[in-house]
Amino acid sequence: MATNLFYGLLPEHILLALILLLMMLEILKADNKIGTFLFVLALAAGCGVLASQLGQGFTAVIVPGEILVDRFALISRLVLMGCGLILGLCSLASCNTGKFWMLITSSLLGALIIMDSAGFISLFIGIEMLSLPGFALMVHRNSALDSSEGSFKYLLMSSVASALILFGMSLVYGSTGSLGIASFASVLAVGGTLNWAACVLILCGFFLKASVFPFHGWAPDAYSSARLQVTAFLASIVKAAVILGLVRVLSSLPLNAVTITGITILSVVSILYGNTAAIRQTTFKRLLAYSSIAHAGYMIFALTDNSAGRVESLLYYVAVYAVTTIVACTCFGLVADSEQDDLKCLDGAFHTRPVPSLLLALAVLSLAGIPPLPGFMAKLFVFKSVIASGHLLPAVLAFVGSYIGTIYYLGIVYRLFKPVVATSAVEAPACQGGCSTWSGVFLGVAVLILFMLLPGLFHQLLAIVA
Amino acid sequence: MFDSTTILLLLALPVAGSLLVSLVPGKDSIVSRMLSMFTMLMVLGLSVGIFRQYDGALDPRILDLNIPWISSLGFNFHLAVDGLNVYLLLLTAILFPVVLCCTWQTLPAKRNLYMAMLLLLETSLLGTFLSQNLMLFFAFWEVVLIPMFILILVFGGEKRSQAAMSFFLYTMVGSILLLAAVILLGVESLHQTGNWSFEFETLYRLHLAWGPQLFIFVAIMLACAIKSPLFPFHSWLPLAYYEAPAGATALMAGLLSKMGAFGLLKLAIPLCPEVSAAAAPYIMIMAVISILYGAVLALRQENFKKLVAYSSLSHMGYIVLGVFSFQEAAVHGALIQILSHGIAAAGLFLLLGMLEERLGDSYKQLNALSTYAPRLAVMLMLFILTSVALPLTSGFTAEFLILFGTFQQGLTIWLGNAGALTLAAVLLASTGMVLGAAYMLRFARVILYGTTKTGISVADLNLREALAFIPLLFLIIWIGVWPSPFMDKVQSTVLQMTTHATGIATPAIAAPLTTPGIGGANGH
Repeated sequence: MATNLFYGLLPEHILLALILLLMMLEILKADNKIGTFLFVLALAAGCGVLASQLGQGFTAVIVPGEILVDRFALISRLVLMGCGLILGLCSLASCNTGKFWMLITSSLLGALIIMDSAGFISLFIGIEMLSLPGFALMVHRNSALDSSEGSFKYLLMSSVASALILFGMSLVYGSTGSLGIASFASVLAVGGTLNWAACVLILCGFFLKASVFPFHGWAPDAYSSARLQVTAFLASIVKAAVILGLVRVLSSLPLNAVTITGITILSVVSILYGNTAAIRQTTFKRLLAYSSIAHAGYMIFALTDNSAGRVESLLYYVAVYAVTTIVACTCFGLVADSEQDDLKCLDGAFHTRPVPSLLLALAVLSLAGIPPLPGFMAKLFVFKSVIASGHLLPAVLAFVGSYIGTIYYLGIVYRLFKPVVATSAVEAPACQGGCSTWSGVFLGVAVLILFMLLPGLFHQLLAIVA
Repeated sequence: MFDSTTILLLLALPVAGSLLVSLVPGKDSIVSRMLSMFTMLMVLGLSVGIFRQYDGALDPRILDLNIPWISSLGFNFHLAVDGLNVYLLLLTAILFPVVLCCTWQTLPAKRNLYMAMLLLLETSLLGTFLSQNLMLFFAFWEVVLIPMFILILVFGGEKRSQAAMSFFLYTMVGSILLLAAVILLGVESLHQTGNWSFEFETLYRLHLAWGPQLFIFVAIMLACAIKSPLFPFHSWLPLAYYEAPAGATALMAGLLSKMGAFGLLKLAIPLCPEVSAAAAPYIMIMAVISILYGAVLALRQENFKKLVAYSSLSHMGYIVLGVFSFQEAAVHGALIQILSHGIAAAGLFLLLGMLEERLGDSYKQLNALSTYAPRLAVMLMLFILTSVALPLTSGFTAEFLILFGTFQQGLTIWLGNAGALTLAAVLLASTGMVLGAAYMLRFARVILYGTTKTGISVADLNLREALAFIPLLFLIIWIGVWPSPFMDKVQSTVLQMTTHATGIATPAIAAPLTTPGIGGANGH
């Protein structure tokens, strides 16, 4: 038991130690580089631990009814830690303070706790730990005028979401007398006004955090006011954690018909709205925000599939989406110097900075779902299970949405490859960012290539139940 | 001698080539051109070898490459040569080196990006034609768009951005429903066989209800009609053909448009036999409208490039007409038309590109070319004659077989009191040939003959350019004079397809008095 408490939660312990260490460094006023370096090192160690646990087929009930390490917990934590590692490598060159990494680590720790949770208390602690540092991250060292506005919106919305989830949980407790996530299943099965309310409240809370239409209002402002790295963090890891948390709650429970209809409508509207609104955006972060609304739509679309297949298709989707977003953001940072946000600075970038431009183009095409890039595979898995469950019409509507999506993704490619006008022949300065940034980008690309070549990865990983 | 490894090489060589080319340092490097040429010639060598080896009697397992990719979902990396794609394999392999050879000295050809994109385009086209797995087919079908988009966007004419965007977005519309149809087929396979499968072999054996079949048919038709293009889905065509660089236009007219026709043969008819049989008369009407509309528009064009673009629309109509007659001779004709039009359209666009490159904008007012540049003029005339389907050129074999076969079919239906729609369609389509002769010969008269003007000089074809056209001319004449070696290769496939399709169609047609004609196939 004690060994399990240590070994089973080793990644969390590593992150805790990292937070403490970063605090110490902050007190000792150590060099910023050390913090970043430690972050990368700790996350690499955490990934290694998780991978070895996966290899051993380790599973354990750590605190009965509250903390449970199963295959899903291992894989999803590996996905989140991996994304964190790539993000860390990508931002090695930029001098972020220890505080920055401390906040990121706390948020990541919250994400891991969500994945471990088997009870509502740990789930709620995880969700709060995930969201609150995000608020601080957005204002930390941010000179943008609207930063406090965006972060305040984020804080408010996220508190509302937490309140909704908490209320829903208490209703579930009132109806079943148990705080286990599994009791949510029985609540769903029984029905009745109280249970319906619980279900709606919990789902709405998660949808708010995942910025699904019509709960999306905070996302564009929050994303655009944050720094690019923070935006990447919010759009990839936080969103991934929320969606995977939802998977944790629902796991492979069959949902009832009314819930499915509701989720289908919300997801299709989200896809259509997000993609349509993104077309008119002129800044990268806002575009990313609207596209993330659309992607949240695809993700919850997978929930309408009533089979166990949705867990693996969502894991794949979330992993691909998160890594692609990080790569895209980093490449955008490389193409458009540092904090520039206007899409105009991409014009003709291919001719001056071919490699990051090419990678950015591939990343956005992957987000658009052009085969054979991993983004296409991800969408395919979602749609495959949805169509197999008999929802052909919503699937076609979602396809229309993703077609609309290609318009603005293609717009980015179009800007990158646009022939430059001769007048702006000012020699562009060489790419910033040292080899460390590149190592992060190439790690991300390598992971994406792995996903592309082995799309059945999560299926196999989940299937090996020791 | 050639086996599945060769097929893998066909796809792997251009990919490797494009990677190598993009690593060649510096601009204006001849190394990248040589490297691309070498890769394309290797592919050509392998394809010619496969083409010679392939005939209907060959064991299909020899030229078959099947690598499981996601076995739980039935995605396989499955490529094979069969009767439907053997012509297209040859056409693709020939056109790429020809295009490169013709555009060797142009500005785009000196850029590594251009070379890399050409090679990627070659891989994706070969992949589309050879794939035997629906999901793989779809993936390649989409990938084709990206190199072409970049080719138009970076190297095109004045309105290139608009052309590139409209090309991509327009052709992408077709894919929305296509992907839904692809997944639906996989689901049907899951329900009927208990396993996910996207292998064509499995999908062909499914029995679909009318509803899903209709949905799948509409989806495939939409995708193919836009790609081909077929009236009324052609509006992206003039702009894209006009603005793209000469090499890309030649490839678009020669190969990309054939993807649509190929999709009809490979997907629409075998996957939804009942719906295809029922819809055939209406599709044929659409094809005839395409033929006539394209011809009339071509008649009114002052610009040569646009004229050839619209004539493409007209010629693609013949292919669709032949395919949907389900008649042996007509299907043979359609397959040959795929090859023949691919060669002729590519040749015409390449020659026009050369003229534009030599004369700039003033090539639009050019006449009396035969005086300035006799070799170029002869070459142009030969391609024009193929387009108007002069006997002894491949165009004649193709269009004659199509009209002959469709006419027989129309007559059978009419005699069977099942309506005269098909017959009327064929008769109208025949007038397309006359219109074709009218606009093509007008084009020839204007550009080749007429009064000479002073102060104009046009460099004639040099050795490199002349050499590039030799294989095309050779094929045109060969198919025109003696098509049976070609037709023998695909005979069994065509027979299989038509008997399958007519077997389905017969109950739909009220009273079949006579059996569908078998003549004509080997009659030449």
